[in-house]
Amino acid sequence: MTPSADAESPRASASPKSAMHRFRLASWAPVIVLVLLCAVIAVINPNFLSFGNFVRIAQAAMIPLVLGLGATFIILMGSIDLSVEGILTLSAVILSLLVLNGANGNDLGLLAIPLVLLVGAGVGFINGAVHVKLKVPSFMTTLGTWFIGVGVANALLGGTAVRINDKLVRALAISRDPLVGLPWGVWIAIFCFFVALVIQNYTRLGRYIYALGGGEDLAGLSGIRASRVRIMAFTLAGVFYAVGGILAAAQLGLGNSQIGLGRLFTTITAVVVGGTSLAGGSGSVQQTLVGVLVVVVLSNGMVLMGIPPSVQIGVQGLMIIAAVALSMDRKLVRIVK
Amino acid sequence: MVKDINGLMGRRVSRRGLLKGGAALGAAGVFPAIITRRSFAADTPTLVNSIRSLSNPYHATWNKGGEAFAKSVGADYVTLVTEGNSEKGVSDIRAILAKTGGNVVINVDPNDAPDARPIVEAVKEAGGYVITQWNKPEDLHPWDFDPNYVAHISFSGVPYGKAMAEALFKAMGGKGGIVALGGIQSNIPAIERKAGLDQALAENPDIKLLDFQVANWSDTEALEKTNAWLTQFGDEIGGIWAANDGMGLAAVEALRADGRAGQVPVTGIDGIQLAVEAILAGEMAGTVAWDPYWQGGMGLSIGYHAATGAFDPAKEPKDHREFYGTGVIITADNAQDYYDSNIKAEPELDWNDIWGRVSGQIQY
Amino acid sequence: MSPAAATPALSLAGIEKRFPGVHALKDVSIDIMPGEVVGLIGENGAGKSTLMKILSGVYQPDGGEIRLGGQPTRFMNAADANLQGIGMVFQEQSLLTNLSVGENIYLGTEAAFTRFGMIDWKALNAAASRQLEKVEVDVDPRARTADLDFATRQMVELAKTLTLEDQAAGHLVILLDEPTSVLERAEIEILFSRVRALKSRASFIFVSHRLDEVLELSDRIYVMKDGAVVADLPAADANVTQLHQLMVGRSLQAEYYREGLQKPFQDEVVVEAEALSLGHDYRDVSFSLHAGEILGIAGVIGSGREELTRTLAGFAPHDRGKLRIGGKEVRFRTPAEAVDNGMGYIPRERRVEGLVLFLSVAANITLGNLRSLTRNGLIDNREERRLATRWVDRLNVKTPSIDALCLNLSGGNQQKVVLAKWLNAKAKVLILDHPTRGLDVGAKEEVYELVRAVTAEGVAVVLTSDTLEETIGLSHTVLVMRDGAITHRADARPGGKPTQVELIEHMV
Repeated sequence: MTPSADAESPRASASPKSAMHRFRLASWAPVIVLVLLCAVIAVINPNFLSFGNFVRIAQAAMIPLVLGLGATFIILMGSIDLSVEGILTLSAVILSLLVLNGANGNDLGLLAIPLVLLVGAGVGFINGAVHVKLKVPSFMTTLGTWFIGVGVANALLGGTAVRINDKLVRALAISRDPLVGLPWGVWIAIFCFFVALVIQNYTRLGRYIYALGGGEDLAGLSGIRASRVRIMAFTLAGVFYAVGGILAAAQLGLGNSQIGLGRLFTTITAVVVGGTSLAGGSGSVQQTLVGVLVVVVLSNGMVLMGIPPSVQIGVQGLMIIAAVALSMDRKLVRIVK
Repeated sequence: MVKDINGLMGRRVSRRGLLKGGAALGAAGVFPAIITRRSFAADTPTLVNSIRSLSNPYHATWNKGGEAFAKSVGADYVTLVTEGNSEKGVSDIRAILAKTGGNVVINVDPNDAPDARPIVEAVKEAGGYVITQWNKPEDLHPWDFDPNYVAHISFSGVPYGKAMAEALFKAMGGKGGIVALGGIQSNIPAIERKAGLDQALAENPDIKLLDFQVANWSDTEALEKTNAWLTQFGDEIGGIWAANDGMGLAAVEALRADGRAGQVPVTGIDGIQLAVEAILAGEMAGTVAWDPYWQGGMGLSIGYHAATGAFDPAKEPKDHREFYGTGVIITADNAQDYYDSNIKAEPELDWNDIWGRVSGQIQY
Repeated sequence: MSPAAATPALSLAGIEKRFPGVHALKDVSIDIMPGEVVGLIGENGAGKSTLMKILSGVYQPDGGEIRLGGQPTRFMNAADANLQGIGMVFQEQSLLTNLSVGENIYLGTEAAFTRFGMIDWKALNAAASRQLEKVEVDVDPRARTADLDFATRQMVELAKTLTLEDQAAGHLVILLDEPTSVLERAEIEILFSRVRALKSRASFIFVSHRLDEVLELSDRIYVMKDGAVVADLPAADANVTQLHQLMVGRSLQAEYYREGLQKPFQDEVVVEAEALSLGHDYRDVSFSLHAGEILGIAGVIGSGREELTRTLAGFAPHDRGKLRIGGKEVRFRTPAEAVDNGMGYIPRERRVEGLVLFLSVAANITLGNLRSLTRNGLIDNREERRLATRWVDRLNVKTPSIDALCLNLSGGNQQKVVLAKWLNAKAKVLILDHPTRGLDVGAKEEVYELVRAVTAEGVAVVLTSDTLEETIGLSHTVLVMRDGAITHRADARPGGKPTQVELIEHMV
């Protein structure tokens, strides 16, 4: 909320009829970046446009997308969720221990999936409940659950990696649908995207998440139970991270306590690059989809373009700054922290 | 007395665990690893392994080796875990020196190279014996702390990086294109292993390095880089060299998603169980086992022999004081043997063969 | 209007509220008839906000009774008050600027448009359109609220409040809490006409510091002082002087602006503008500001006076002409440059620009001049406290201690802290940008007194004010601007003050 900034030019924009709703020009910047990026890579290496590479990009994007969807809801509220890696790791490890595997005699098959989603929801719920009831900032709460998640995963495995031998679970990442030829995991991610879209646009939870991000005190005046919304949002995010954990375990064919490494950074980067404001209140899961694609296409493209490894990480950093700078509505921001 | 130490250590470790992860379960995972064995003779030195954590398979195996050796000589055995915290590592060692009055042999994988100096100095002062592995400052030498600083053991990445490259080339039939996955760019083992790869490439002109990418020891990054390569080079890729097993296994998964697992040979380094299994399944062409079981047990054995007067460290040649250990090269030829004797069963080593795996003095 | 003839829509009988150490409301009784607009005035601290909070369910009264349509009731919380027909339009607007108009109107009540957990946006927006028609505002319910001007937002708030008609059983009572403080005159007119039109649908309680507006809009006026109702009189019989007298317990007169303290300014020219121009905003502005002089700038929106003020404060550098401070030619590219040249800017948005609310009073006072407090790179805390204490005493800042956060001070005291900051930084020129906006009468008087005191010490002041009356009352000289140019200069020495009419003819 920047009421002061608005106050600067109270009469600057008094043509409500012409004003678009949530999608504004600035939020198209990441799309433009994505298109330009694709064009440049395709010119340098035409293989980029092959169907095979399209599938690989989709595969690389599926996990960051699912994680980003969950994180988007949290960031829209103006909170932050650092527990991405914790919940993902825990989910992947529990999945690997419940299905046919190389470490114990379990063989729950696909039944394990709802159980793992429940674990994700549970940890998410704890995030929300601790944050709201004990009034611990979300940053600290989720930092704690991040470590708890990885710690429990560690304790369950004792440091080893467990190979997943369940054919159906592996098929999530490896087998493809007969029509388009995309791996099933990609379809799962697409399904998750539409679920998130519906939650965002057509449910009260989605609406209230925006309202909380816009101003929790004001939302409260409208009778919104902020604490309930927060708990639900964190629970929801936990489920998305658990889906990410299932996909990660299926993709690597194993569960280990390092499976989540680096995921948090990619997730937050993708959400922010997509244009969702860390201050909360503005952004959307559509923008996160674009952000994820920008991040994934860039890292795929840098290999295709033969950019030296030592330069790649610098390019990624530049891209983050550029995308955020482009998508920011500077008129509305006067103080940057 | 020994009980006291272990009570102290146990409490400390579990509290750390709670602080770090807040995980009661995580702490419980650490706790049972602090294992005590009552000695028969009070003057037998206490044996101590100080390692990073018990949550990775490498150090877990290291600890097993230490346990096995302690059992073989009937000595008390203590495991200290740094959890990646240098101060904790050093202060835990100081505590155990104080409790044992210096009657102790410490086999340590220092958390960071600079930690080795205060550790060695503290052991020297207390009159104990210490063996360091992997990390130490270049100008810290065992012969400057006779007889207490018994030896430093490390492994050179160069010959094994090269050996894996050669195993890979052999699996490819001696010609074709390869891609290579490196570790963190500034990390010394990553640099050494890559140097070995480069040597092998120079000697095999029929093999072409299509691309080298840094995947930072990360499974996920390795998977994504390999995916991009499959787009870029397609069938040109005849083999994949990875600087460790985790990245190699991720490359295998990328190949699997492309329907080519088992057709394109992949090598790793480290010798983790899943890699050995992948070799048995024909999906990987080789790995190198550092044998942490040997490191955990033999490190203590060397110190134990010095402490009990079996040899005088001051009289040993320099290549017994600062030496490269020997890795076990595992390929399809010996994978089954290795699996049976080292993974399925507890390895059986001759703990008295203390210099058996010396492969030269460390060069700085 | 005979209260006995009909049942009041809302009636408060003998309401009591105590906080630790404060008897906030003493036996407050108020009746609001259906379709009536009741004005509620009083100084800050008179108990208005406590009363409003009780009406909106935020506080529970310790004693007395609330009756709705004659039936005793209680408001458990804001949502409960809403359901019983109490609507609120707040001074600090309660719309979420990141949501659309329609979303705002039905925020918290989407259930009516939800089928199987999914919100039917078409139906919601159609309903929102109907609400907006009630207040005669032509806005697309899908428009983003941030894109609307403040007046339209107030209308949207009103429309949102009117949705209670469909939910509440009884008659609607809408609380208007300082709704005009951010509006311009023309916008206020629109708001008032809507409120009058809506009297058939609802009763209103109108809280404002602007007595003329209260007189204009209200049917009846309640005056509060020290937690009690001291007067209840029909608006038709009241006038500003009388209301002011009732509020503060003394009469309003010329002395209000402390004209008796207005001293002739000195000969020394502090600021000199020569044909100063900035794009289309203002052009060829020339004036001389002397030490101890108050220069009032009058003009309507678009006259260029706001932009001129911003140039002097360093926010918008001029592009032509000359600006001299103490004889030296300057062009401020940043506020910091203006500060370095002895300009002190006291903004209208104290909460945002003037004060760091999460810093203590002492830290705020010394913020502008920390360099002089720094010894060997460290802040001399003892000296800082000494200075802060001196300013708090001198300006009579009412604060529990110099360590209190500015957040917890009242508006008038916050304004004093801002003033102290600049005086401590030894500003030679103070730019007062609507310095009394949002302050009640008592606090205003204190600010006027302070302004007189600092000019007596030779500080020059550039003033833009909310009211012409204030501009005339305070200034030594008044510049009138229209369409970016100066159209009139009026001498405003005590005894020879121009009338408002005289100035207005040059403004429009």
